[in-house]
Amino acid sequence: MNPADQANEKEQIARARAGDAEAWGELYRQYAPAIFRFCRRTMPTREDAEDSTMDIFIKVRQKLSQYDSTRSFSAWLYTVAANHCWDLLRRRKVRQDLETGEIENMPLEHPDPGQLEQLIERRTSQEVRRALDQLPARARMALVLRYYADMSYDDIATTLGVRRAFVGVVLLRARHQLRDILGERGAASPPWRAAGGAT
Amino acid sequence: MIHFDEMACLLYLEGQLEPQRAREMTLHIDECPACRALLHALERESHVLSAALTEDNEPMPARLLSTRSWGIPSWVWTLAFGVFASGAYWLWTDSVDPWLQQLSNAGFGGTDFLSMLLFSGAFWEGWGDMIDVLQIAALVIVGIGAIALIRRRLRRSTAIAVVMSAMALALVLPSPAAATEIRHEESVIVPASEVIHSDLIVSGASVRIDGTVEGDLIAFTGMLIVTGHVTGDIIAFAGQMRMEGTVDGNVRVISHTATIAGAVGKNTTSVGNTFDLTAKGQVGGSLTAIASDADLDGRIHRDVLGIFRSTHLDGGIGGQMSLRGRNLAIGPTAEIGGPASFRGLRQPVISPGAKLASPLHIERLAENRRQIFSGVRLIVNGIVGYGVALLLGVIFVTVFPGFFRTTLHETGRIGLPIGVGALALVAGVFLLVLGGLLIFVGVGAGVAGVLGYAPILYVAQIFVGAWLGNKILGEASNPTSAVIGRIALGLLILHMAGFIPVLGALMWLAVALWGTGAILLGFYRMSRAEPAPLTV
Repeated sequence: MNPADQANEKEQIARARAGDAEAWGELYRQYAPAIFRFCRRTMPTREDAEDSTMDIFIKVRQKLSQYDSTRSFSAWLYTVAANHCWDLLRRRKVRQDLETGEIENMPLEHPDPGQLEQLIERRTSQEVRRALDQLPARARMALVLRYYADMSYDDIATTLGVRRAFVGVVLLRARHQLRDILGERGAASPPWRAAGGAT
Repeated sequence: MIHFDEMACLLYLEGQLEPQRAREMTLHIDECPACRALLHALERESHVLSAALTEDNEPMPARLLSTRSWGIPSWVWTLAFGVFASGAYWLWTDSVDPWLQQLSNAGFGGTDFLSMLLFSGAFWEGWGDMIDVLQIAALVIVGIGAIALIRRRLRRSTAIAVVMSAMALALVLPSPAAATEIRHEESVIVPASEVIHSDLIVSGASVRIDGTVEGDLIAFTGMLIVTGHVTGDIIAFAGQMRMEGTVDGNVRVISHTATIAGAVGKNTTSVGNTFDLTAKGQVGGSLTAIASDADLDGRIHRDVLGIFRSTHLDGGIGGQMSLRGRNLAIGPTAEIGGPASFRGLRQPVISPGAKLASPLHIERLAENRRQIFSGVRLIVNGIVGYGVALLLGVIFVTVFPGFFRTTLHETGRIGLPIGVGALALVAGVFLLVLGGLLIFVGVGAGVAGVLGYAPILYVAQIFVGAWLGNKILGEASNPTSAVIGRIALGLLILHMAGFIPVLGALMWLAVALWGTGAILLGFYRMSRAEPAPLTV
């Protein structure tokens, strides 16, 4: 976003805060598609995503006065969205991941880069999305927060309620689970996983 | 060579590795092709993930595209509320209150009318059947709606437009094409020499028609006497009504005492305390009536369907007779041309001189047995009611999943739907009264009004039940069985709580307000949404 756009957005936010419905409408039109896509990636059904999008914007409108204008609006919006979706998923008592925060559970073998690249290159975006849909809620949420919303490790840790040092583990484990789904399921040793050394 | 593990590689890529280790890794990857390849593969994976996640592969749903609700400033809502309040006030002072005054003048004042309808006479007997009818009506309507929407050929907005148009048409159709004469005096008399060439609407303490009305006669009065000729229908709300003349059409009357001593060309419908068809009286079509006492001495050319506490039949019935009540006496001059049945508490008394085409079919209701089994009946009714409500819930979840989710979502807002439900109830009570009167005079809009509103009240429990189930078991949108399980639990709790005296009734009132508001909000939301194609 160039400085002119940023200034324009700041003005819109200020007007929306003051109760200008038109300015709020502009903000909504600008960000609703991205937030809907975010919800679509994190929530299990399309209807959930639609409802969540509406709810998130209702919350955002109510909380607009709390927004710190020195921060990026889009980052704040994603934080609200992430908190909303994660709260909703947790309240639904979705099957929680078995992760306990113990780094020892991480597989330490060195994957075969060639096989891994091959696995990735073979798959279309749609196949990757389908595989993402099959991930446990926390794994999916972590990947979306990082690779869609571009959230920092600190924000991811706050949203998911995990220690910051554990965010990398969650992300890597999510990648492994994704590879398992994309690769040959049920194989004793997936082709991308080859023995390797570790530091 | 010692390699860095995958975790370290990922953290390095994402700039999360401690500076010291990051420096070590930078040096290491210059020399180590394996780690370099791994970093490259992880980076590729990140790109693929980002691309898959950010790809705009699905259109925004139309209901999210609409920014109308954001665009409406609060003063519009204030203005709308003001207009609504003014309208309600105008409706009350200009329409409802004068009607009530007229009804009061006509002898239907306050508790007298209510007690007459509800607690005295045989009308009380019909409540069980009415509840059954309501449940069947709800099922039929949901069924028809389901068939229509399953086809999915019609867009939702089109379907709603069709339904609304049909209802509007129903409202428009009965509006009279001919001119109508309206008379309002203390005492209205149409002398024998006068001919009114249009419909006549009259109100006054007493109304007497000795002349001719070439159209319908609609009367609100304490005392209505017709000795002349009405070529259309008589529709009357009267304290007492006596018809000694000739009516070519139908007679529909709510009257404390209704006496037919003349000729009615078509059908007669009556609700009141006493219905009297004198020996000179004739009904060309059928008689449908609810009354405490009925004397049927005249001739009815077709069928009789009646709920009377006490019936005395000395006249003739051309078709079949079906009566419910306490007593039935069939005198020596009585004739029944078709099958006859009586369902009541006492053994009917049939004079040997009476001419019945077939033996009277009698179904006696034992008072004692009714009392003993009333508790069991209550429980059975409760179970059946629960089952029907659950079935409706299943139909909603499977046939209208979008509407169900939207309405359930609205239910969760609690305050808003209860407020909307309360407003709708105020409007709905008026509509129900109006609808009831319109049904009575045979207007389709009345039927549409009542059939449209009653199922909403009934279905309200499903959404409140689902909300309650969600609160207890946690939210579930999929699979369907999980949602149905939550509805089943919520409804069970509601139905169990419904057995608590007083509190149960208050709870049902709250459920009706809450659920009705949510359904209306759900309709509103759905009417603004266009189904978007699924491309995922």
